[in-house]
Amino acid sequence: MASVQFKNIVKKFKDNVVLNGVDVDIKDHEFVVIVGPSGCGKTTLLRMLAGLEEITDGEIFIDNLLVNELHPSKRQIAMVFQDYALYPHMTVEENMSFALRLRHTDKAEIDARVTEAANILQLGKFLARMPRQLSGGQRQRVAIGRAIVRKPKVFLFDEPLSNLDAKLREEMRVEIAKLYQRLNATIIYVTHDQVEAMTLAGRIVVMNKGIVQQVGSPIEVYRKPANLFVAGFIGSPTMNFMSGKLFLEGEALYFKNEEIKISIPPYLLSDSGKHDGREVVLGVRPDDVLVERDGEKCSDKVQGILEVCELLGHRENLYLKVGNMRVLATVEAFFNRSPGSGVTLCFNYKNMHVFDKATETRISE
Amino acid sequence: MEILKSIYEVLWFIFLIAAGVAALEGYFYYHFRYWERGWFFPVALAAFPAAALVLSGSVLGDYTFRLWFYFLLAEAVISAAFRYMVKGRHTVPYLLLAPAFVGLALLLVYPFVFEVLLSFHDLKLTTIMMWKNTGSLPFVGLSQYVKVFTTSPLSEITFWALLLRTLVWTFTNVFFHVAGGFALALLLNNQIRFKGVYRTLLVIPWAMPQVVAVLAMRGEFHSQNGFVNIVLVKLASAFPFLAHLGLGPVQWLSDYPLATCMLINVWLGIPFMMVVILGGLQSISSSYYDAADIDGASYLQKLRYITLPLIRPVLMPAITLGTVWTFNNINVIYLVTGQSGGTEQADILVSALYKAAFTYNRYSYSAAFAIVVFAMLFFISVFYLKSFDAAKDER
Amino acid sequence: MKKKMSAHEKKRRVKYFFVHVGIIIFAGICVYPLLRIFSISLRPGDKLFSTDLSLIPAGASFTAYRSLLKDTMFLRWLWNSLVITLATSLIGVSLASTAAYAFSRFRFPGKKAGLILLLSSQMIPAGMLILPLFLMIMKLKLMNTYLGMIIAYSVSSLPFSIWILKGYYDTIPRSLEEAALVDGTSQVGAFWRIILPLSTPALSIAFLFNFTTAWNEYLVARVVLFSAKQYTWTLGLFELQGQYITQWGMFAAGSMLVTIPVLCVFLYSSKWLISGLTLGSVKG
Repeated sequence: MASVQFKNIVKKFKDNVVLNGVDVDIKDHEFVVIVGPSGCGKTTLLRMLAGLEEITDGEIFIDNLLVNELHPSKRQIAMVFQDYALYPHMTVEENMSFALRLRHTDKAEIDARVTEAANILQLGKFLARMPRQLSGGQRQRVAIGRAIVRKPKVFLFDEPLSNLDAKLREEMRVEIAKLYQRLNATIIYVTHDQVEAMTLAGRIVVMNKGIVQQVGSPIEVYRKPANLFVAGFIGSPTMNFMSGKLFLEGEALYFKNEEIKISIPPYLLSDSGKHDGREVVLGVRPDDVLVERDGEKCSDKVQGILEVCELLGHRENLYLKVGNMRVLATVEAFFNRSPGSGVTLCFNYKNMHVFDKATETRISE
Repeated sequence: MEILKSIYEVLWFIFLIAAGVAALEGYFYYHFRYWERGWFFPVALAAFPAAALVLSGSVLGDYTFRLWFYFLLAEAVISAAFRYMVKGRHTVPYLLLAPAFVGLALLLVYPFVFEVLLSFHDLKLTTIMMWKNTGSLPFVGLSQYVKVFTTSPLSEITFWALLLRTLVWTFTNVFFHVAGGFALALLLNNQIRFKGVYRTLLVIPWAMPQVVAVLAMRGEFHSQNGFVNIVLVKLASAFPFLAHLGLGPVQWLSDYPLATCMLINVWLGIPFMMVVILGGLQSISSSYYDAADIDGASYLQKLRYITLPLIRPVLMPAITLGTVWTFNNINVIYLVTGQSGGTEQADILVSALYKAAFTYNRYSYSAAFAIVVFAMLFFISVFYLKSFDAAKDER
Repeated sequence: MKKKMSAHEKKRRVKYFFVHVGIIIFAGICVYPLLRIFSISLRPGDKLFSTDLSLIPAGASFTAYRSLLKDTMFLRWLWNSLVITLATSLIGVSLASTAAYAFSRFRFPGKKAGLILLLSSQMIPAGMLILPLFLMIMKLKLMNTYLGMIIAYSVSSLPFSIWILKGYYDTIPRSLEEAALVDGTSQVGAFWRIILPLSTPALSIAFLFNFTTAWNEYLVARVVLFSAKQYTWTLGLFELQGQYITQWGMFAAGSMLVTIPVLCVFLYSSKWLISGLTLGSVKG
């Protein structure tokens, strides 16, 4: 197993900058998920690591070895492709053993490794079949099996679950998590689905527009998003954003816009004098919008109107309107009010996020 | 024994060609590998001529020095290209392309350039001996091109009449190919029994060797023994009123050669279009037709608003190819009228061109003629492809 | 409700009846000339010019076939054609398969120019290149030989084959080769082990196309081959037709003998042919 380092990676297609100075250190045995919207450069980064894409500038190390000029097969990696890329003219067994056969590995050794991988993935019955005779989930397993057989230093997953339906995707997600515990390998996993990122990752790398936005454990990224993009991308339903201004009234700091005025506690923003008059965006997750509740964690009260209720089961989404602002709140079922009625809401102080409007970076603690 | 000998011969050729390809690949490979080295340029420049020198006595014969010169020229071009354009990148694609493009350069581009050069000289029956003895030909500039437009390639007809006839020939043929192919494809696209059998029978004209098909059809248009006239005679005798209307045997080959050729070529060309259009029809999802049914579209409306626009991407390239092939079709006309004493009333540009070269031995004239025809075809297809691209952008 | 359904059914039946009739008429037109050749080839020598329309003529016999095989070099001609055609098709397909791969998967200077060259080569008028090819073959002292014919034919279908194969390669997902690269093949290895085996349908189409083109060619053959022993079957059939009187019986018999195998191959592969021809164009 091995560590991976990206050092100031740049990728350009002609004048189009896809990656602009990516620096990430991945430790041994780590499960790192690279997440971001489509076109953010995450797949390009993975393909550069695999050696399938030329590196415009920067250096990539696997196990402290510079691999920039190394042929893909010499990098000791294995990759699971989005469309699985199973060779259609080979059986499952041939697919899995292809890399070993290319390397003239001992026949007995090949058999042993294929059998082992097939056992792990419950593919024993399908070894003689052709890929087109398999279902989507089975193909996915074969693709993973093909990677396991190689015993690589690093596993690369390129959006492996995006072609599966919702139920299978959940199953395979659990499978991959179990597999990680079993193999204890270095895994780099690319996805645009933030749920996969939250559930699988040891560490998340959030990317947008060719730049790494934040690196951290799932809980860090969720609790303390580094900027507006991360705050909006991670978490479902999406965080509420309200733009406004900070101003000082005596000792206390207030957030104010046309609709609301809320005091900002000092543990959220220390050194309050510095922030007077600053343009900011206030972010609150729907879970932290408290409706018709009291308590010491509750901020100043705000009056709103209920527009639509969405019952999800044990939770309920409330679409509220505060003046001209729209606020989404997620509360426990059942919120027995009819649309159009007025409600009182407040925000959970501890989990409010304040971002600078110009730089879009987080300024609260 | 004869057969063994020819098998041996063929294996030898294949070996020869494989060796040629290997030599070529090796040669290029070393260019890619060492182009940066200081010694590379002079050594590479000497390598080819040296090889030519070794081969010269035994293989190359009388042309040693000229080939020497060509090799040197080629080598200079290739080395310069490596040094200033390719710069050692893109190794794999160039190595993959090399055999095919060297083949094309020697057997397609070189002959083409030769024809272009020939069109500025005057090679004909009276100058051919002089060329053979001295290797030089009178240079005549553009006068061959002037002649193309002013004099007749054959004995009587002018260039412009030929062009008109060619256009009539091309558009009539392509129209009937597409119309017939479309009709048959629509018929075949039903859920009917024996579909496979029908399709098999309908592609037979395309599948038959063209020489056999055309000669057989020509036989059917023979004035006495041909099927067409036999049927006409029988009809006339069975229904006398038809004979009164003028129905009777027709001297197809001598009186209406162009019409005969067209009939034969329409017969030959429909299956190809049918196959292409059928492929296009089968790729249209039936849900469009269901939606149109719900909207209350009639059969013709469905044809107009669904079928036609959706098979357009298949149809346009096929029509382009069909137009070029028909414009360029020498087989039918030559096989029907080309034998000695054949009529010239059916000749189109390409067949006239062939006859000018090989019946009348006016080589330079026909070279100029060919280049004019090539230019016309080129512009027709550029026009077609442009309109196809425009259609693609619309979608 | 039931009554209405049957009316619908009736309408459908009538429609299909006319569809069948229409197709059968067209199919008849397509097949009849072939059947006529067959019938002529069976006619006894004195009845060649009858106006009889029946398919199996009175006194049918295989004498024409017998004399074709015995009195002429027809088998030799067939063999010549076969040798030349197979060799050119093999060369053509192997050159096209690699060139098409370069066009399908790589970006390199001159790619567009190369594609335009391929396209414009289709516009060269028939017969234009015969003279220079003839001179070239003469200077190489390859007149009247297989090699001369093979050289003259080898690139004639190359542009079209490259075009078809490129269209097919374009439909094979790139990730397959990338997987192979990660698994440890070189770029050329990925082509050899993954792309080529997957392209058998397109390769067969290209082969078929090369084969039929060379098998039916006669314009070049006429100027390169001059001794009857080296003739291809096309020239041989001309020979039968061209002398004082056309040997109709033998001509028809020969036509049948060359048509049947080609027809079988063609019909066998026609399904691939359709998909291959439309594939490239649909993808555009």
